[in-house]
Amino acid sequence: MQSKWYRVLNVLAVFVMVAMLAACAAPTPQVVEKVVTQVVEKEKVVEKPVEVEKVVTQVVEKQVEVQVPAAPVTTMVYNSYQSDPAPRAADEETVKMFMEKYPNIKVVHSTVAHEDFKQAIRAYLTSSQPPDVMTWFAGNRARFFIDKGQILDISDVWANEGWNESYPKGFQALSTVNGKQYFVPTSYYWWAVYYNKKVFEKYNLTPPETWEDFLKVCETLKSNGVTPIVSGTKNAWPAAAWFDYLNMRVNGPEFHINLMLGTEKYDDPRVKKAFEYWAELLDNGYFIENAASYDWQDVLPFMLQEKAAMYLMGQFVMDSIPEENKADYDFFRFPIIDPAVPIGEDAPTDGYFAAANAPHPEAAKQFLAFLGSKEVQTYVAEELKRLPTNTEVDTSSFPEASKKGMELLAGADYIAQFFDRDTTPEMAEKGMAAFQAFWNDTTQIDTILADLEKERALIFAAE
Amino acid sequence: MATKGAIRPGRWRQSGGKTAWIPYLFLAAPLALFLMWVIGPMIYSFYLSLTNWDGVSAPAFIGLRNYVRLFDDKIFWIAIGNNAKWVISFITLPVVIGLALAMVLNRDIPGAKAIKSAFYSPYIIAPVVIGLIWGWMYQPATGLFNSVLNAVGVEKTPGWLSDPRLATWCIIAAAIWRQVGYVMTLYLAGLQGVDPSLIDASQVDGCNFWQTFRNVILPLLSPVTVVVVVISIIDSLRSFDLVFVMTRGGPANSSSVLANMMYIEAFNNYKMGYGAAIAVVLFLITAVFIFIYLWQTLRTELEY
Amino acid sequence: MTDRQKSLLGRWAVYIFIYALTLLWLVPVLTALITSLRTNNDILTRGFWSLPNVLTLKNFGEAWTRGGLTHYLPNSFIITLPSLVLTLLFSSLAGYALSRFRFRGDRLILFIFVAGMMLPFQILLLPVFRLVNALGLYNTYWALIIFHTAFQMGFCTFVLRNYMRTIPGEILEAARMDGCSEFRIYRQIMMPLTLPALAALATLEFTWIFNDFLWALILVQNDKLKPVTTGLAALRGQYVMDWTVIISGSLIATLPTVLVFLFLQRYFIAGLTLGATKG
Repeated sequence: MQSKWYRVLNVLAVFVMVAMLAACAAPTPQVVEKVVTQVVEKEKVVEKPVEVEKVVTQVVEKQVEVQVPAAPVTTMVYNSYQSDPAPRAADEETVKMFMEKYPNIKVVHSTVAHEDFKQAIRAYLTSSQPPDVMTWFAGNRARFFIDKGQILDISDVWANEGWNESYPKGFQALSTVNGKQYFVPTSYYWWAVYYNKKVFEKYNLTPPETWEDFLKVCETLKSNGVTPIVSGTKNAWPAAAWFDYLNMRVNGPEFHINLMLGTEKYDDPRVKKAFEYWAELLDNGYFIENAASYDWQDVLPFMLQEKAAMYLMGQFVMDSIPEENKADYDFFRFPIIDPAVPIGEDAPTDGYFAAANAPHPEAAKQFLAFLGSKEVQTYVAEELKRLPTNTEVDTSSFPEASKKGMELLAGADYIAQFFDRDTTPEMAEKGMAAFQAFWNDTTQIDTILADLEKERALIFAAE
Repeated sequence: MATKGAIRPGRWRQSGGKTAWIPYLFLAAPLALFLMWVIGPMIYSFYLSLTNWDGVSAPAFIGLRNYVRLFDDKIFWIAIGNNAKWVISFITLPVVIGLALAMVLNRDIPGAKAIKSAFYSPYIIAPVVIGLIWGWMYQPATGLFNSVLNAVGVEKTPGWLSDPRLATWCIIAAAIWRQVGYVMTLYLAGLQGVDPSLIDASQVDGCNFWQTFRNVILPLLSPVTVVVVVISIIDSLRSFDLVFVMTRGGPANSSSVLANMMYIEAFNNYKMGYGAAIAVVLFLITAVFIFIYLWQTLRTELEY
Repeated sequence: MTDRQKSLLGRWAVYIFIYALTLLWLVPVLTALITSLRTNNDILTRGFWSLPNVLTLKNFGEAWTRGGLTHYLPNSFIITLPSLVLTLLFSSLAGYALSRFRFRGDRLILFIFVAGMMLPFQILLLPVFRLVNALGLYNTYWALIIFHTAFQMGFCTFVLRNYMRTIPGEILEAARMDGCSEFRIYRQIMMPLTLPALAALATLEFTWIFNDFLWALILVQNDKLKPVTTGLAALRGQYVMDWTVIISGSLIATLPTVLVFLFLQRYFIAGLTLGATKG
């Protein structure tokens, strides 16, 4: 009995010792890596890039005794939240391209799951060793950190790269705080009502442009046993899209943005009016039942099986549609309710920034310049079908859908960033809970709006 | 024969003389580590609850304002109500099922090892996967439960996770499914400390199974039961991962629990101070339960 | 029916009930297994509960590479094993003191260990983060090892203290009268007798520490040090969730825990400790 126990303990002890040795030994590989980079650099002048890879393997085996190198190598850290497969692959390729162009900078690239990145970034920016470059959202979300002085001033990069000319004013405004630039916006995408063309054809429907036409389309679909509109509101934000668009169509983008910034009230009769249009859809049963039990992706099968027709969603919805079905899907602008009201559209913009106390600010700036450049934006736009922010990118060879999306946004009078990016995270949280409550029971609208207004007053009073 | 409710832990070492400092010696390293890395941060978060810290800028003292705001917050009261449901569920079902399983599986039933692994397996699966699978079981249109209900002729099937009245119970069901293996493991270990000769003795004395169970086994298992009850209360009040993964507290905060609310306030809304206040309230509620329970059991323990 | 037949029938009824319950209990787990063998498109087009069209092992390969498992798995072990051993070591020391001695502050100290379990640990995230930075441990294995060791001590001390109280005192008294030092008693008598509890705790602790995600996210930024959970989490996209790959990845990550459970469960089985407790 005692011996059995000792055996277990011995095994565990061995594990622990091995683990500890590994833990202590962990830093060592880095030394070899750095050395490798030196040798590679010297070779590069002569050999073709492909050969570089062979050299690397050989050097590692030899445990090289190389002398102190001529040019210093900077190791820069880049953390990204682009955990979707396609953006992630594009990301890795971009990093490779950068390292080829600047062989004396090594980029350590790691991807963190999107939702988790939003928590981790606060730890990153206040830690003793922040990453140099990070992905982030344009607009209010970036401002939160910029206002606290945690983001590197990159006005010099903007000036050197000539972005003040090649980037539209709107994107410049998104990246500027108090006259200085801190952010590089690199891609954006549009929101629209996506629909299954085959279902529409089956019932002789055309994409509606006005609200009345839209209601007629819904009624036709419903009477034929097809769910007119799907939405997966388990995570609330797809519901927020409906609020964004209805508010912008009924009351105009200026009112909407002021509401987001806390200068208008939620119990304003204009807000209630927007909800009334929403209630019209809900009370007529045009939405899928039990929307709150579905994640946004879970409702796609209904569209694929032709049991449902329309989905108000961002362009990324196409990434989830299987290749063989993609041709069946198209989109149209959210219907116009009042032709006299300016048109507002949601077009969330993503980009990059650098930590104010980044360990390698110069390398970070070079990387940011690279990311915002025409070459990289062209590559990314082609790979991911999103829209580039740099106007120097040639868009003539873009796919039809992208061109249509660009037209949609070009026809807008105002571009918003989406509910949870335009307003503070706390307000967004309360707002989205309110939307879920309304979706569940439209008769509660007055109480819901009164409560929401109380929250808004509290939240924005503290600002 | 063991008397009801009593166990004999052996004689205590009396304090006094050279041996008085021996326990302190044993405790020195563990306690120091624990104080520095757990209690210290805990006290710091108590302090944070009195500030408006956003996790990034310097914290500013605001006194009890967070608590005032908390008691006014609708979500807080919904969360407390839900936590109560969790506590009641956790100290009944998993304990009873776990103990029953441990009792049955403690003998040489064919396939016992496989069955034990089967019941423990939910505990090792990541919460995100559990949330996913159970979410699919609960799906209204095509999920497992509603498909079965439809097959037996039920017309109006529930919305499960999308129904504000059912959501919490649905999550609790998944949590109990996971918890049973954990309780079973603790009881299996505890049953190893039960001397079979005592059981034999009671059976020789003419007790049937239930009498033996109630008067011999259960009292002998009481140290494990203490642990199980304490853990069940603590875990049910601290429950977070399944709620977060399955509904994020929705729809419209109807399934919110205190730990979930705390996480969203602190990490999503950037209100660390407010989140800390919620954590403190959670701590105090738990502390009341636990301290009372432990005090009682410790008192009876020391009465020899 | 004779009494003996009745009791046999009764026993088999219980067994069959248990088998049926086990199968039912396993439905979600089996579902996870089957889903990991399907393709995402299959689920998307034909629904989740449909019978699979195609079965493939591709997801495991994809989870392995895209989740960077070759890279992250060793880290998980480097973090989990030392934490596990250290926390059991420290907790058994504390448990021994608290279970076998009466001294000033013994109840207070027990309460301290229990109190440490009562907070939702997420609230400790940022205070511990600050502590780690202040000590210069940010971005190291040690940050995670020390923290896990400390944090798990609350639960382990409590369990071990309670378990150790069930060991009859006569054995210890006998050893003391023979002149053994307390430490030798702890090491050579108490610890072997506590084996079932230690094995059960080792299983649970391995599960918890190995599956930890939040602490690794906050205390470690360097990709070289991250454990498997963060690698798998990165399979979750901003918009797209490839559920079949995510489930496959999670199943791979549970294998070590399953192996630990299978290996350790024989230690909380009858027979091992009974020889010592003859009254």
